[in-house]
Amino acid sequence: MPNATVVKPANLKALWKLLPSISPKRKYLAGGTDLVTRANAGLDTAEIWVDISDLKELRGIRETGTAVIIGAGVRISELGGSRLVSRWLPVLYAAIPHFASPSLRNMATIGGNAANASPCSDGACALCAEKAWIWLELKGKRRKLPLSAFFKGPKKTVLKKDELVTAFEIPKWKHVGAYLKLGPRAYFGISKVSVAAALEMDGGRVKTASIALASVAPVPLLARKTADYLAGRILNEENARTAAALVKAEVSPITDIRSEAAYRREMAGVLLERALGRIGRRGENL
Amino acid sequence: MEKRRGGIFNIRCAVNGGKVDREIDSSRTLLEFIREDLGLKGTKEGCGEGECGACLVLVDGKAVNSCLMMAVQLHGKHLTTIEGLKGRDGGLHPLQKTFMEEGAVQCGFCTPGAIMASEALLRENPGATLEDIKLGLTGNLCRCTGYEKIISAVDKSRDSK
Repeated sequence: MPNATVVKPANLKALWKLLPSISPKRKYLAGGTDLVTRANAGLDTAEIWVDISDLKELRGIRETGTAVIIGAGVRISELGGSRLVSRWLPVLYAAIPHFASPSLRNMATIGGNAANASPCSDGACALCAEKAWIWLELKGKRRKLPLSAFFKGPKKTVLKKDELVTAFEIPKWKHVGAYLKLGPRAYFGISKVSVAAALEMDGGRVKTASIALASVAPVPLLARKTADYLAGRILNEENARTAAALVKAEVSPITDIRSEAAYRREMAGVLLERALGRIGRRGENL
Repeated sequence: MEKRRGGIFNIRCAVNGGKVDREIDSSRTLLEFIREDLGLKGTKEGCGEGECGACLVLVDGKAVNSCLMMAVQLHGKHLTTIEGLKGRDGGLHPLQKTFMEEGAVQCGFCTPGAIMASEALLRENPGATLEDIKLGLTGNLCRCTGYEKIISAVDKSRDSK
């Protein structure tokens, strides 16, 4: 059971004002699906949780002329109901049914999903393929960086003490996408490997590609060499097979309780080939 | 109330249609608040890690795992537990009836959570197909009845509405 005292600042300004007056053994509480799970297992030692789940400044999905902005406090299920997400972020949209269960999707926030920095995160993997940037704020001071540069290792990020994830900025670029996940069962499982593929197409030719994978590296992995290979090439079976071989060389999976390194590597290639095939067939039907 | 672990928080919320305004221990989970403070024992604790769905309740109409939500996070919101589900005539809710009719209950521990998940699903998608029902219940584990009867109970309830 949790032991931490929970405090609930009314807004971001109140949060920055509050922090110096409370125990330094503090953490942010958003959807709770990772933090409270750890606390229920007796694994969290924070004395104070600062509840940010209702902060208005972290809510909402909006667009500018060039980007979609998703507040860090947006729940995963809200993403599924957003026209902006379904229109501009096909990879993220395709990943949503694979993200935990319906009730956990009603709780978990996209910001918490990134801040938790799990290598198997479906949300972070999909957002990396979408070329997302992450917005951070510390006592009113803001910075932003590419999401792929935010992760330092399993459960490790570049976040400084008290720094908060406030939003994701995803550029609008015309692309098609797919998200394929392999887990112990079809839904509500933690992935052995996931592949997120975003392709900007010009007829049957790939103009640019962005490929990300989960559970096959210490962080959500951007497969840059594979993406570079695909750029400018016709999307056909032969090129998809070569891309699959390349991605197998880019991943660095481990053997753990969920799967074996060799299997994960092999399946990374298989899933990418399937994802490219799916996008290619859809293209023919357009 | 057991020994207070955290600070005190004054919570104001609605529970099954009635207003609640009281001081609570801020380190309580929503599940502890429901079972121990409110005395509503229909909501169960299974795994305590969001895997089994025995603790599902509705917050502002959406299904959530009450074992992973803090009671403080209910502030200003509406909670519906299994005790708050009723049919139009004030008797059993259609889902409760079809769960009984289909034999979708064996030990019964997962039943309140499964019914709340089904209610959330049908509120959002009244025309849910069998596939939608299966997907809607992916977060609810049953270790004795199996899933066929639960799924057919939800399917039948949808038809009876």
